Order: sequence, then structure tokens, then C-alpha cells
Amino acid sequence: MKKERLDLDDYRKFLKQYLLTHDETALYQAEQLSKLSVQHNVSPEEIIHVHIKALKELYPDLQQEVSDSLNFLLEAMISYGLALQEYQSLREKQSALESEISVAANMQKTLLQTKKPTITGLDIGAVSVPANQMNGDYYHFIEGSDGTLGIALADVIGKGVPAALAMSMIKYSMDSFPEQLRQPAQILESLNRVVEQNVDTSMFITMFYGSYNTKNHTFSFSSAGHEPGFFYFQETASFSEIKARGLVLGATSDARYNEEAMTIHDGDAIILLTDGVTECHLGDRFIERDEVLEVIKDYLHLPAQEAVEKVYKHFERLQDFHLRDDFTLIILKKET
Amino acid sequence: MNINLSIDVATTDNQTTLTIKGEIDAYTAPLLKEKLLPATAKEAEKIVVDLKDVTYMDSTGLGVFISALKSTKEHGSTLTLVNLQERVHRLFKITSLDSIISIDTTTRGGE
Amino acid sequence: MELKPCVNIRQEWDIVGARQLGREKAKELGFGTVDQARIATAISELARNIYLYAGIGKVYFEMVDHLGKKGLKIVAVDEGPGIRDLSQVMQDGYSTSGGLGAGLPGVKRLMDTFEINSEWGEGTEISAVKWVR
Repeated sequence: MKKERLDLDDYRKFLKQYLLTHDETALYQAEQLSKLSVQHNVSPEEIIHVHIKALKELYPDLQQEVSDSLNFLLEAMISYGLALQEYQSLREKQSALESEISVAANMQKTLLQTKKPTITGLDIGAVSVPANQMNGDYYHFIEGSDGTLGIALADVIGKGVPAALAMSMIKYSMDSFPEQLRQPAQILESLNRVVEQNVDTSMFITMFYGSYNTKNHTFSFSSAGHEPGFFYFQETASFSEIKARGLVLGATSDARYNEEAMTIHDGDAIILLTDGVTECHLGDRFIERDEVLEVIKDYLHLPAQEAVEKVYKHFERLQDFHLRDDFTLIILKKET
Repeated sequence: MNINLSIDVATTDNQTTLTIKGEIDAYTAPLLKEKLLPATAKEAEKIVVDLKDVTYMDSTGLGVFISALKSTKEHGSTLTLVNLQERVHRLFKITSLDSIISIDTTTRGGE
Repeated sequence: MELKPCVNIRQEWDIVGARQLGREKAKELGFGTVDQARIATAISELARNIYLYAGIGKVYFEMVDHLGKKGLKIVAVDEGPGIRDLSQVMQDGYSTSGGLGAGLPGVKRLMDTFEINSEWGEGTEISAVKWVR
């Protein structure tokens, strides 16, 4: 921060002009000087100092009391000058922090990125949008060598940096499991132990894990307290909640999980979501799950990726483009 | 942020009753934690949390109850939640926390 | 060793005494009015710290000369509790009493050099120099 001195000659010129003519132009010039002073970190006491000097040059016989009182004012302004400097340094710090967080958010994106698989006969769409810079939701696709498709969807309590850190832990634990141990219930049991041992007592994670067998089109799944998703049955054009009960990850050390299974027919769909979808605020009330289904139904005929994006846009608009929670929606359609 | 939560604590012999009013979210959860956790650290204490006037709770609130439950196990105290409104009760059901936290459903709160 | 001008800080009004002595020395050295006011404010902050956190201590002044430059050195010494986390108190935005602009970061800004030594349990010594421009 370079300090520049206020130009005494200019100041004196404008002050004189003002004292003689009460001219608005001179006041406008003073305003410009004031702005320039802020830009160049000239402190208030320095401006007063320049004022005193200019005044004494214009009026060499300035009354002693006036001169003293201006010195008094100068003393009174010292702390304002300091506060201004501190404010500026805090602002610089804030922007440094912001750029650090945005670097971290980009890193998180790279670390947690998942490739949406291309599987014949399956149409997959996924969208995940954080409320703040860092995402506390996480989804991941895992293609097994035996033709199964694993789908993990998790939501960490809270938002922001702590949630994002916990998410990275989940992702790396999951990567370390050998392929033969990737059964939904088994995965949740192992992850539960990881979370229970490693995070703060009040931190927990909800998670859904599904495994889609592309040969016989059965979908087996387990849930650790995750917001229930839906099956869509084309035959009856109806939705049904994905029923899987299980305790959230991190609440006890010995949680056990049930595994359920469902056969998926042509035209059926699997809809997975986080509570950022169902906890959407509409003014001071919440959107009911039925209303969410109505919206999903409106777009379900579209290709899956287009459908999830349309649904997201719909809720984004409903909430005035300001998400309160991270939002994740995945749709899997079995093509006819 | 508007802190929209009030907590009333009543203590009798070996029992602490917390009556909570308002919304439990990321901003108010620390207050709940501050009042609830010390009670759970008393040996053999029976803690009752009345949620009749809790209109909204998010996952941060659940986190506080999980950490309170862990503390009761450590200190030999007990925790019971009573008078849950439907929306709040649903959260405990979805997360299956109702399987490990004692919830008295005989007195259901007003909808 | 020559006797240095010194003010003992025991009560709030001693802060005024320290300011006054410091301002006299600053005038003698030829500091302008703005710098005089800055020096006085720095003395205030240092003396106030002693009064608030250590209870008892002293502020003394030294005329310094470096490569023909003249300056005033303020030294504040106390045997109070000391400062546990120096980097924290030197951080902008950290203040137990004053709000924006107060505290040791303020002193550092007002003066040209700033040095602090503190041991937890053994007291604190801060010295700061302002050069005549």
C-alpha cells in the first residue's frame, strides 16, 4: 500500500475558491480529492493537517483558538484513520480467503468427479449443485467388471468446508474396498465404521447405495437414513417410494443394514435425491414430496440428463435462485 | 441471523426437562447443544426433551441429538424425546434414529 | 547508563501522563503535528494494554539516532501474565476491547518499527520507533 500525499497546492486553491465564492465547483473538486484520498490511503488526519496548513497560508493571522481546535480535531480523527487501514487490510484478507476456498472447491470437484457411465439400455441423468461453494452432497458411479453398476449417493450433515472434507473421506474409503465387497449393505456397514471412528460426534452422513445388475435388471439397494427416492412404474404410470430403512452413518459403531431388491422393467425409472430437493422452501413453507413428484413427472419423458436439469431449474426458480441446501438428483431410466 | 429458538430448562431430582420452542437449524443448534449436553453428562440423569413447539428441525438438530445420545451412553444417563410434531418425527424415522433414540409417541404434538 | 524519561502505569490517568511526556519528547525532536498525534495514540494503546492486562508496568522513551536519522523509541514493559498467542494479538480483526483500529496492530501501523517479546507467565516488552521525516 503506497501512501501518497494530498496535493497541498490543489487543496489550497480549491479552499480559497470556495471561501471567496462559495462556488459549487470547488465543493465538487473537494469531493474528487476526497475520493482520490481514499484510493491512495491518505488518512483523515492527513487531510485535516493539509487543511490547517492551507488555512494558515491563506490567513496568516488565524485566530489561535481556531487553529487549536483544528489540532484537536486532528487528534480526534487518528483512530478513524487506523480503523480505515485495518478495514482495508481485512478486505484484502477476505478476498485472499475467498480465492483459497474457490481453489479448494475446484480441487474437490476434481477429487470427487465421477464419470457418468454409458450403458446400453440405460439412460442416466445426474445433477448436483452446492448451496455454497463446497458441495456436501456426493454421488458416484462404479462400473463393476461383472456388468453391475454401483450408484452411491450421500449427504453430509451441514454444508461448506467441513461437509466437503467428510465427503472426500467417504470417497476414498469407498475406493479402497475390493470389488467383491461392493454389496450395498456391506459397503454401508464398512463406511459406518469409518465415519463413526473419524468424525465429530454430532456429524453424520446419510447415504444410499444401489447396485444395478445390467444382465437381469434387478436393482439391489440399502439405505443409511437417506431421504427415500422413488421407483417409477411405466405399466401403471405410478410412483412408489423406495423403501429401505437403515441408520445414518456415524451414529453407532455396529449398525447393520438390510438389502432390498426390485426388478426394473422397460420404461421404469429409479429416482434418487438428497433432501435439498424435498426441503426446498417456498416462501415460509416447504414443498411437499407429492409436489416434487408432480414436477419430476412433468419432465420424466425427456432424456434423463435433460429431465434432471429441467427439474433443478424448476426448483431453482421456485426458490428465487437461492438454494438453501445442496441439491442432487439422479434419474435412471430403463429404455424400452 | 434471527435466532428463533427458546429453551426452558427445569431440573428436579435426577430429572432434567428441556422444553424447546422454535426452529432447530444450523444457527440455533449450538444453543441446544449448549443446554442439552451438560445434562447428559450427569450420571443416572433422566433427560426429557419436549419438542411440542418445535416447528422445524434440520439435520444439524439431529446431529445434536446423536451427540447427546452418545454422551448418555458414556455417562449412564437416559434421553427421551416427547411430543414430536409430524414433520420432525418423520426426520427421526427416515434416518432410523428412532431405533436408537427413545421417542415417546403416546403424546403426539399438535400438527 | 543515562536515566531515561519514564512513566509508571498503575491507573488509567497514568496513560495521560505517558502521552504528555511522549509528546514533549516528540516536539523536542521536531516531529510535525500529525506524527505527534500518531505517537501519542501509540503511547495510549501501549499504556492502556499495560493498565488493562498487566495492571502495573512502565513506559519509557529513548531518543535514537540511526545513520543520521533521528527518532523516538517508545518502550512498554510489564511483568503481567504475558501473551499466550502473539500471532493472534497481532492479527487484524482480533481485539478484546477496542474494535476496529485498536490494539497492537494499530500501534504497528502508527509507528515505523515494532518489536514485541512476551513469555507466558513472565510479562511483555514492546518497543516501537518513529523516525522524524
